[in-house]
Amino acid sequence: MEHLISINCVKLLIATLFYTCVLSSSVEQKIYVELNNTVPCVRLLNATHQIGCQSSISGDTGVLHVLETESDLDWILSSGPHPPYMVIMETAFFNRSVMMRMKNSPRVAGVAVIVSKTGLADHFSPHTTCPNQNTGLYSENNAPELANCNMTVWNPFGNGLSYEDFSFPVFALKDENQTQVIRKCYEDHNLRVNGSAPRYPLCAMQLFSHMHAVTDTVTCMRRTDLQNRFSINPEVLCDPLSDFNVWTSTRPLNSSAKGHVADESVVIAATRLDGRSFFWEQAPAAEGTVSGIVTLLATIQALYPVTREAPPPRNIFFTFFQGEAFDYIGSSKMVYDMEKNDFVIDLNNVHSMLEIGQIGLRRGQSLWMHSDPVSRRNTSVDTEVLNLMKNVNSAAAGLSVKLDQPSFSQPLPPSSFQRFLRAKQIPGLVLADHNTSFNNRYYESMYDDAENMNVTYPPNLSPDEQLVYETEEAKSLAEVATLVARSLYMQAGGENSRLSNITADPKIVAQLLYGFLVQKNNSWFRSLLPPEVTKKGDNSILSSGPPQFYIGLGPRIHGPVHSVTRFVQYILANLTGSVTNLTESQCQNPSEVNTENKDFFSYFWVSGPASVNGTEEPFCVQASVRLSKAVSPAFELLQYGSRDYSTWTESRWKSIRARIFLVASRELEMLTLGVGVAVLLLSLLVTYFISSKAELLFSSARETPTTTY
Amino acid sequence: MPNEEKLSLCRRYYLGGFAFLPFLWLVNVLWFFKEAFLKPAYTEQPQIKSYVKKSALGLILWVAVLTTWITIFQHFRARWGEVGDYLSFTIPLGTA
Repeated sequence: MEHLISINCVKLLIATLFYTCVLSSSVEQKIYVELNNTVPCVRLLNATHQIGCQSSISGDTGVLHVLETESDLDWILSSGPHPPYMVIMETAFFNRSVMMRMKNSPRVAGVAVIVSKTGLADHFSPHTTCPNQNTGLYSENNAPELANCNMTVWNPFGNGLSYEDFSFPVFALKDENQTQVIRKCYEDHNLRVNGSAPRYPLCAMQLFSHMHAVTDTVTCMRRTDLQNRFSINPEVLCDPLSDFNVWTSTRPLNSSAKGHVADESVVIAATRLDGRSFFWEQAPAAEGTVSGIVTLLATIQALYPVTREAPPPRNIFFTFFQGEAFDYIGSSKMVYDMEKNDFVIDLNNVHSMLEIGQIGLRRGQSLWMHSDPVSRRNTSVDTEVLNLMKNVNSAAAGLSVKLDQPSFSQPLPPSSFQRFLRAKQIPGLVLADHNTSFNNRYYESMYDDAENMNVTYPPNLSPDEQLVYETEEAKSLAEVATLVARSLYMQAGGENSRLSNITADPKIVAQLLYGFLVQKNNSWFRSLLPPEVTKKGDNSILSSGPPQFYIGLGPRIHGPVHSVTRFVQYILANLTGSVTNLTESQCQNPSEVNTENKDFFSYFWVSGPASVNGTEEPFCVQASVRLSKAVSPAFELLQYGSRDYSTWTESRWKSIRARIFLVASRELEMLTLGVGVAVLLLSLLVTYFISSKAELLFSSARETPTTTY
Repeated sequence: MPNEEKLSLCRRYYLGGFAFLPFLWLVNVLWFFKEAFLKPAYTEQPQIKSYVKKSALGLILWVAVLTTWITIFQHFRARWGEVGDYLSFTIPLGTA
């Protein structure tokens, strides 16, 4: 009987323990409020420096304080009684002077920046004033009077914040609801009452963004190598920035034949595919990048019908370079491949080059044709450049685009063309909407979005109506695209009689602008992409909102190919490809089919437009669109300290998160600890005392049972 | 334990410590300190005393060398760059 009772007692005990263990996590939920939508700033390294932000390995905690006025800044930096502080920074205060004061202060545990348009300054660019100054064409060895922006400061509003090294975490608060939660906690507990300091318990925030890599790329790659060779559980510390360039050509090129192609003269039309900002993976890059991408895509769309009917003597090679924000990763790789005869063409095949820079903020003014004064000292190159300018000028006849040239001695703006000129003096132009300094007041920042490019839609339009609505900007970019297409056709030696047939469609430009600036999950993009991408839901590249143009770490580490690269690849397939009647398995393995040529074409299985009753009919598209690896040659040559090539890497990390909770005063914590230690010592003392006097204390109890028998 | 065995144990630990094993000397000093200095004299005691003294000397030398090296390494490893990394078994993440 007693046996059964004890078994039931044990079962009851186990059941209670089980329930308490399962429910005990709710205590953590009662203390901490997890902030789910976090946008951190991460650490990037190059050959000599580290930039970005770092937190301690167990997070940085600080008492919340909202920075709204100058007196708040004094409170945080000198007079507040509860350091260290976690600063909630209003948009207006996110500038160089405030951040440098925070950087030098030991009283700041971290910064959370509220990202909004209210209070935004007239200009904000965290990039440097002279982008890519060390890896371009102009250096101490080659035209030092033009190097380091001695002649023209391209980004005068640049404050260089992206290139500073902060020892505390900096997060961005983009979600308005989450910011409201934080503000409420602050107002409930941390507000000053009549000028006196707030009392404990106070609202605090903890930010975790511990980065593994330190010092520079050389150190980080060396330590990664050591880990890989000698450690049982190797820990990778950093990864090189890498992705893919996208290229296509009017006459398909044999991708299995590398090196010089006999009798092939190529005109290159290029633009960049990427952008960046202070925070990780945030780069709307509207004026900086999207204007160029959209214009070049529209140019390709305008040229293709005519180049099919009446192919010009020269081939036109279109390319989108990835990674240009980080010392020209994509273009340096392509030039390196061309020099090593590892690409479909080489530098001797290149006749001339036309690059599209930032052209979105023209506002009816002129389009500027930038050229390189150093290579133009050579008369043959100069003649070719003048010829190219003449072609562009005559292509502008009948269009509302005016053209202009900067002064002769002005250097090229930061552009991929500079990397080509480093290898060989090729005649070429860079088209831009600016003369001496960028028109873009938010270059490489989170605020370079659709509004910066004046792409706004009337209210009360459904998403599908917005997709096809032609804004003024769309029409303006379509004009520029027509100009570029006609100039390229003339430069490639095409007949002048065909020029009037080359026009860019403003509807396509409007759809591209909508997809790249406002919403990438739209019906047109969905029809271009493969069915498995459109069906995946939230985790795929078709999540809601505009695409972000940060280069990322490549498919080995970050899942599928970068979203922007995929979009450009499939849009090109749609604009330049032809429909075939291959089945899905034949489309994935075209070498098995005799009529198809894998060397000259790629095959894409796309969804097709969604029909009314929801059924899709995917089909196979054949196009001469290719991807080429865009990773800096420094990583192939293992020259991690290279001065010639980009050496940018991104650190790895374990977890990035943020949470808010209430903290008690230090005195209360010490008191609790002290009481606990005292209870421990007391209990030890009592136990020792009782055990040493055991016979005395318990002997009287033991005697009584014997007396009953 | 008979005194001859104590002497031979003490000698073995003393000799073993020369094989880069300073802990044997530490153990030697701790075990035989009472025997060598606090117990009344017996025949083997002077030899045990000398072994304990020599073990203590070796121990102090080792402690000094190790403390110096560890202090220098911890302080300067970051500054040594490549050499520091090749000398390290585990390198902390995120700090120099």
